[in-house]
Amino acid sequence: MTVGIQYRDLISYLRTLESAVLNQLYKHPATCLAIFRRLPPLARQYVIRLLHIRQAVPQAVINSWYDPEAARDHTSSEDALLSLRLWHETTLPGGLPGWQLNPTFQEMLRQALAGGGDPWIVYGELDKDKHGRDTKFLDQYAQERWDCVLHYMVGSEVNSESGISQDAVRILLHSGLMKKEDDSPNSKNLITMEGFQFLLMDTEDQVWYFILQYLSTVETRGVSLVDCLQFIFQLSFLTLGKDYSIKGVSENLLVFLQHLREFGLVYQRKRKSGRFYPTRLAIGLASGLKELQATKDEQGYIIVETNYRVYAYTDSPLQVALLSLFCELLYRFPNLLVAVLTRESVRQALKGGITSNQITHFLKSRSHRVVLEREEGIIPMTVTDQLRLWELERDRFKFGESVLYSQFQTTGDFEMLRNYARDIGVLKYENPQKRFLVVSKSGDAEVRQFWKRHKKDYD
Amino acid sequence: MSGYKRKGGYSTRSGGNNANHANNNHPERYKPDEDEGEQFSVDGVPIAAKKQLEDKSCEDEYGAKDYRDQMILKPDHASRPLWVSADGHIFLEAFSPVYKHAHDFLIAIAEPVCRPEFIHEYKLTSYSLYAAVSVGLQTDDIIEYLRRLSKTSIPEGILDFIRICTVSYGKVKLVLKQNRYFVESNHPEVLQKLLKDPVIQNCRLKRSEGEVELLTVTTTKNTTIVPGTKAAEPGDKTEVPNDIFDFYERLENDEEEEPDRETKVVSFEVMQDKIEDIQKRCIELEYPLLAEYDFKNDTHNPDINVDLKPSALLRPYQEKSLRKMFGNGRARSGVIVLPCGAGKSLTGVTACCTVRKRCLVLCNSGVSVEQWKAQFKMWSTADDSMICRFTSEAKDKPVGCGICITTYAMITHTQKRSWEGEQVMQWLKEQEWGIMLLDEVHTIPAKMFRRVLTLVQAHCKLGLTATLVREDDKIADLNFLIGPKIYEANWLELQKAGFIAKVACSEVWCPMTPEFYREYLTAKAAKKLLLFVMNPNKFQICQYLIQYHERRKDKIIVFSDNVFALKHFAEKLRKPFIFGPTSQAERMQILQNFKYNPMVNTIFVSKVADTSFDLPEANVLIQISAHGGSRRQEAQRLGRILRAKKGACNAFFYSLVSQDTMEMHFSRKRQRFLVNQGYSYKVITKLEGLQTEEGILYRSKTEQLRLLSQVMQAGEDEVEIIPGDSGAEARTQRRLGGIGGLSGADMGDVYAEVRKAKDQATRHPLFKRFKGFGR
Repeated sequence: MTVGIQYRDLISYLRTLESAVLNQLYKHPATCLAIFRRLPPLARQYVIRLLHIRQAVPQAVINSWYDPEAARDHTSSEDALLSLRLWHETTLPGGLPGWQLNPTFQEMLRQALAGGGDPWIVYGELDKDKHGRDTKFLDQYAQERWDCVLHYMVGSEVNSESGISQDAVRILLHSGLMKKEDDSPNSKNLITMEGFQFLLMDTEDQVWYFILQYLSTVETRGVSLVDCLQFIFQLSFLTLGKDYSIKGVSENLLVFLQHLREFGLVYQRKRKSGRFYPTRLAIGLASGLKELQATKDEQGYIIVETNYRVYAYTDSPLQVALLSLFCELLYRFPNLLVAVLTRESVRQALKGGITSNQITHFLKSRSHRVVLEREEGIIPMTVTDQLRLWELERDRFKFGESVLYSQFQTTGDFEMLRNYARDIGVLKYENPQKRFLVVSKSGDAEVRQFWKRHKKDYD
Repeated sequence: MSGYKRKGGYSTRSGGNNANHANNNHPERYKPDEDEGEQFSVDGVPIAAKKQLEDKSCEDEYGAKDYRDQMILKPDHASRPLWVSADGHIFLEAFSPVYKHAHDFLIAIAEPVCRPEFIHEYKLTSYSLYAAVSVGLQTDDIIEYLRRLSKTSIPEGILDFIRICTVSYGKVKLVLKQNRYFVESNHPEVLQKLLKDPVIQNCRLKRSEGEVELLTVTTTKNTTIVPGTKAAEPGDKTEVPNDIFDFYERLENDEEEEPDRETKVVSFEVMQDKIEDIQKRCIELEYPLLAEYDFKNDTHNPDINVDLKPSALLRPYQEKSLRKMFGNGRARSGVIVLPCGAGKSLTGVTACCTVRKRCLVLCNSGVSVEQWKAQFKMWSTADDSMICRFTSEAKDKPVGCGICITTYAMITHTQKRSWEGEQVMQWLKEQEWGIMLLDEVHTIPAKMFRRVLTLVQAHCKLGLTATLVREDDKIADLNFLIGPKIYEANWLELQKAGFIAKVACSEVWCPMTPEFYREYLTAKAAKKLLLFVMNPNKFQICQYLIQYHERRKDKIIVFSDNVFALKHFAEKLRKPFIFGPTSQAERMQILQNFKYNPMVNTIFVSKVADTSFDLPEANVLIQISAHGGSRRQEAQRLGRILRAKKGACNAFFYSLVSQDTMEMHFSRKRQRFLVNQGYSYKVITKLEGLQTEEGILYRSKTEQLRLLSQVMQAGEDEVEIIPGDSGAEARTQRRLGGIGGLSGADMGDVYAEVRKAKDQATRHPLFKRFKGFGR
């Protein structure tokens, strides 16, 4: 019923790419390593075991590597490796089916792990940056830049259109997170249902989703998708708080870099400074290490009470706007927002395509430290239950196939057929005035037969 | 409204009777013409008390009240716990290190709105501020302390509001000393101002010709130690910003024990028969008189010989509430709010033992009269000879006794009494009571209350209740009829401290069967109600829950407001039931059986058991039908199972609600009070095990259809809730009722008591089965 935005993690994204693109990607060690890290654990195990074997291995052998209880893990791993074209099926000389790793991937992963090969695109700057930045600064910078995008989406007036470039706006429109109010050239951009859902996602997921949308437009600008992906993968291996040189980065990628800079994925003091700092957003992008978030000293600020009150220690217009998506706001104090979850406010959000799980997740992931030890859970059970019930109550109708009988000639005909249908328990609805009745699909054949028989007798 | 007219007429007559009385110093309290209609609350309430806070808030783009401009955040806001908004709402961080200080202070000056686990909300009202000054807080102290506790600057409007509401309150007291009435004040200028008023001048009693000077007395206050309590312990000082802590100490000392403090008090004496006039005039002049009773210096009324037993130990919150009541060595009148099961009786008994003067206890049913007597005998040294019961069933000899326990209805009864009753009533009127305990004070309509006060005189009135909420919002009147709220406990905190049981509250959704729902959609209101109560799925769930809990050896009470449902459920399940027409003796018998007989584990009760039915054994409560959206009833019912139980969580409250009906809406409304006290309801949409449970009735469609036709045939009489069974809030909807009902005697089972003789024949044969079980 809810049409949500399609969120794909790295692996499922790669699965959608064509094999030519994938093969291009695998020509790069950093990419191979990054993809390797995101594989399911069992798949990683297989890859490592096969890494130095340059020939096909019988499937029977591989099947003996896993515990029978883990059969499902095995199937999903097998499937992941196959769909990413990391291995393919071959027939061994004896006729046995076997698996063989993708040779390019195999070689490049080996390089990544064991060394050798060409240098990576970016490398650490040798001389010290006199404007060095620490991680705290970078985190703050990343947060601010990213919030700019979100602010633009919720249309909070603090950050007007100047905060975000036309390119970014185009991506938002392209991805369907926002849409034009009308067709006039200077119409306002409005947030869509997908946009609301997007806002409630974790920052990491938001960034990833956004970048994917960005990537789907790069080709039209004449930038190679493979180059961009390789660059992103490489970013994820950089160290937070270190600066890197942009020497040797192609012109096209420099444009890409400027975009990443705008969204807060990398920091550059000046456009031409010749060096950049990756931020947590960039590093987390492809490494998939969500734990990175835990180390971030971002403070939770939301308290949800058993009486459906929501207290948020915040004065950020963005956070307030987000909460207003599904809460009724009661009070604004300098550092506190008092709101309440009501049936109406939540239904409003549900209508907008937001799910109760998204609301719960949003509240949970931003919880104030004092509620972390609450015995009933970070969000009181009653509240999560109620959210779910509010969601379910929109879905009370049960649909079943039925057949309509109408246009009876006489009331007698109508009543006879109705009585029959009622007696065999398949009557769903009747309207004697208009002489029509509805029977369930399962009873249709019988009723029809009865009718035919009756007609025959009658005629 | 014709009923009220008649009542007014009656009370004039009773006032006339009173006037003949030698000892009468309370002439008619109100004139019948003022009594017309429902503008009752206007009378006797100072104008300032009706002041509303003007709210100059602006709304932000989301429709929230935006106070960001009016409140400036202090740099050290993190260590301060409050936000005070310009519309009088106060938000308190319950996890702040200064929580304890802030909480004590807020409970004194504001009404709690909701108190869940982390952030509490209070509201400043003129009534709450009146209560604050009457327990001894000064305007400047209130403002200063609020300033210190607040995270932000306080909006000007709030400060003005506090000043307006407190400037004239609590400045003048009416004190009865050695049987002479004095108007007393620490502020000579206020008394001078009052004396300029001709009405008040008239009331002044001049002992000698030309006496104009005020009496000036320098008193040394001494402490009343409430028996069973210890002196206040100094609070612990951890992590409290200094200014907050110091101030807190000062406030505590101000209002509490402060030995040897010398205060200059000016006073003038008032003529006894002019007391009413002066009280009224003072309210008009915006200086309401606070009644205080200097019981230690009252030599006119004999002391009665009661003390607390050494075994009676007061809990900290009971102590605190009594300390506030006896703060300055005298007894203040007021209301103490404690959850059911938290020991209201002990608090009341202790208050009586502190005053040690003749004591009148008023409660709202014959059953609770017995229970109060038992409480007195349990906690104090009072014995049978000292306690006099005065009910329609039991009339003890009043001679020589110190404690009289009766019901509101007995006092206000307007029909002819028996000769014996007349004698006792006469005696009651003649007495000058030291303290009057008013049990379940929220259930009494203001009108009835005034009647009680015109009939019996007491120096000090203590109201006890669990829920100071009423759907008609008439609660505020109590502030001026009895006195301000002295103390209100926090349910969640008492629960955490283990003083009341931890209850698992559930709302069980019972889907309507299609047949019932079809009828429901087209039925009239009264029938609708019966249909959703009699929903076969509800019956099944109820039966399942009873069977499940009986297997666990639990004691179960099932509440049904609807009498048809009550009878039907109880008879089908073969359980005893109590409702309005059930006689007193039969009630006691059933309750005794429930208490001691292992065969009787479930009883069905109507709303007669809502309040003051003390059932300490019960730990499971199932509610199948309730009175509309009454928050109070929900809380009172929960109170039936709050007596602390052994084990962590062994009390269960189930509210059975038919899905997709009005009941859902009512249920949400009913829960508001408890939810605001921090309770949470778990919604159960499906009960595991219901399908496999054996012996469940109404499984088959034929049975269900038979039930439906029974319901559809049920006469209007049976659908109707019996008059004696309706709560005080239902008054406006009722059309039928005897004189008792018209006089306001319509709480609980009172009416039923009067009608007892008529209804005895209707007793159900099922009770006879349980008769023999008593021993």
